Amino acid sequence: MRIVLFSMLFFTFISAMAQEFRSDISYKYMFANKWEKAIQTYNFSRPFLEEKQPLLMHGLTASASYIFKSSKKLKHGVHLSYSNFKSSAENDKLNNVLNLHFLNLGYIIHFQNNENAKGFYTDLIISAVSSGLCRYVNDEPFNYDDTRSKAFGIGGGLSIRAGYYLNLKKTELIYLLSFWLVTRHMFIHPIVKR
Amino acid sequence: MNRRHFIKKTTLFSIGGLLIPSAFLSACKKESLFEDLNYDGKVIIIGAGAAGLYAAYILKSKGINFQILEASPNYGGRLGKLTGFANFPIDTGAQWLHGKNSILGDLITKSNTKLTLDNSETKYWFNNQLVNSLPQNTAIFEGDDLPDISYSDFALQKGLGNEYKYIVENIAGDQGAAASRLSVFGNNQDEENWNSGDDDFKFQETFFDLIDTQIANQVKDSILLNTIVSKIDYSQPTIQITDSNNNSYNADKVIITVAIPILKSADIQFVPALPNEKTTAFSKIGMDAGMKVFLKFSNKFFDQNIIGGPICAAYADDSIGKAQNDQVLLAFVMGEQAEYLTSLGSDTSITTALLQELDTMYNGQATASFIVSHVQNWTTNPFVKGAYSYSTIGMGDARNIAAQPINKKLYFAGEAMNTNGHHQTVHGAVETGYREVINILNDIKK
Repeated sequence: MRIVLFSMLFFTFISAMAQEFRSDISYKYMFANKWEKAIQTYNFSRPFLEEKQPLLMHGLTASASYIFKSSKKLKHGVHLSYSNFKSSAENDKLNNVLNLHFLNLGYIIHFQNNENAKGFYTDLIISAVSSGLCRYVNDEPFNYDDTRSKAFGIGGGLSIRAGYYLNLKKTELIYLLSFWLVTRHMFIHPIVKR
Repeated sequence: MNRRHFIKKTTLFSIGGLLIPSAFLSACKKESLFEDLNYDGKVIIIGAGAAGLYAAYILKSKGINFQILEASPNYGGRLGKLTGFANFPIDTGAQWLHGKNSILGDLITKSNTKLTLDNSETKYWFNNQLVNSLPQNTAIFEGDDLPDISYSDFALQKGLGNEYKYIVENIAGDQGAAASRLSVFGNNQDEENWNSGDDDFKFQETFFDLIDTQIANQVKDSILLNTIVSKIDYSQPTIQITDSNNNSYNADKVIITVAIPILKSADIQFVPALPNEKTTAFSKIGMDAGMKVFLKFSNKFFDQNIIGGPICAAYADDSIGKAQNDQVLLAFVMGEQAEYLTSLGSDTSITTALLQELDTMYNGQATASFIVSHVQNWTTNPFVKGAYSYSTIGMGDARNIAAQPINKKLYFAGEAMNTNGHHQTVHGAVETGYREVINILNDIKK
């Protein structure tokens, strides 16, 4: 059993919210020691590459949450998000692209105290995570033994998000600003397919 | 502040919050290992096979001072090239690329090296006749809970009787071993770790050419050929290496890539002596006799693969994947069969024994159309002494122990030291080459 740990910083820059439904697109910065080590080793062991493979660090996330109606300060709901990280190195006759996908489905606990701190909120998200890593060489999926090379993993994630949102009453949209979010994913069962 | 200004400011704040920390964090991370590490010590590599050449190639890329000491008159180790024998170049050593999911796979793509998938057809010599298939399934050596016994004993347990002896010998021979010595459990564990791919590829040119043009060419100026290392004294901070002509070489780190029989037979004296645990581990790693005999004929009477001969359990059409098609049949002889042929004493006797076997299979056509042979006996090569390493019965963790560095001075590479299931292969040897450079640089960093 292999465990991969990583955490992410998360900066929301676009968000929309109806009363119970909210969605956002975010930039995500990833720490993943094992993958970083793997790419660093890949680069180290291949002096013939003119351009080194960038680390998988920068990604985009699209997420949606549905918060169940409640008069309490502590609400709960469901959360779905998709994240993509890409690393591309163009070398003569060897263009190598790594594409990493995450899909999170989880339970969200939303806390907002409008009496003391209007607009500020805190989310706790507990989710199941699946991930997939694909490699492309020279714009083609990397195959060997006539099978596409890919790896999958499943695990769990715990996210904490704090933010502030501004209500634009005319449009009934609320712009939401997440100050930070830290997610810790633990892959309890990476399924390395190829 | 009105709403418009507020939104503008929060948007700017958000983008700033995105860019500034990520730019800072990105700058802290390096794309490769040891990017900022400078080392002014000297590394000596013993052996200019695939592992030694690749270690040198990595050291050169890091700007580290190195030298390679090679015992034989040629570099390449168990890679070699024969020209002029046929109208295509021949690999006298390793010739199949076992899977493309490796450094060499990337190097092949980048260098546009031409490969052909070897999906040649097989005939079996079974009950004194050539047949297209076997009555019983012989794929019995993979699975769970396999015992740590030999392939030959396990085959008998599973009902593969004496008529399958040389079929099983061929299966073990693929691993460079006699069926009586290869561990079912050990080899299955190796197979479970294997992840470079199961397809076998042949080079239109040669495997040697790939290593020569892409790797050796970068470092060959630093190879001292005909330098037989006889002693490594690592008792002092500076390691002193002595060759058979009493020349001395000083180094701060030494990467030893010699074939495992050289370490087993103590051809190199270590001062102080290597720990018992280490020498015991060496002794547990198997390496049997192995030879390749190339038989050139005037016409093609033979099949693409012939499996199960009592003299040679594996013949293969060597023209497959080549641009030209002279009729060359490779006799790939391993284990006890290689020991027997070696015992015949001369290349002529070896060739005669193989022709007799082929005559039996093909009604005398072999001798009738035989032109010339070339025997490459790796067993009698004093700097190799065998084919490639395999997992013996009761081997346990020997490969891991054997591969461990000693005192941050001696580092061990070569196919036999590959601990991720890729031993026996060129790409496995290459992996140990860069692994030991990483070990050296990690030790320096500490």
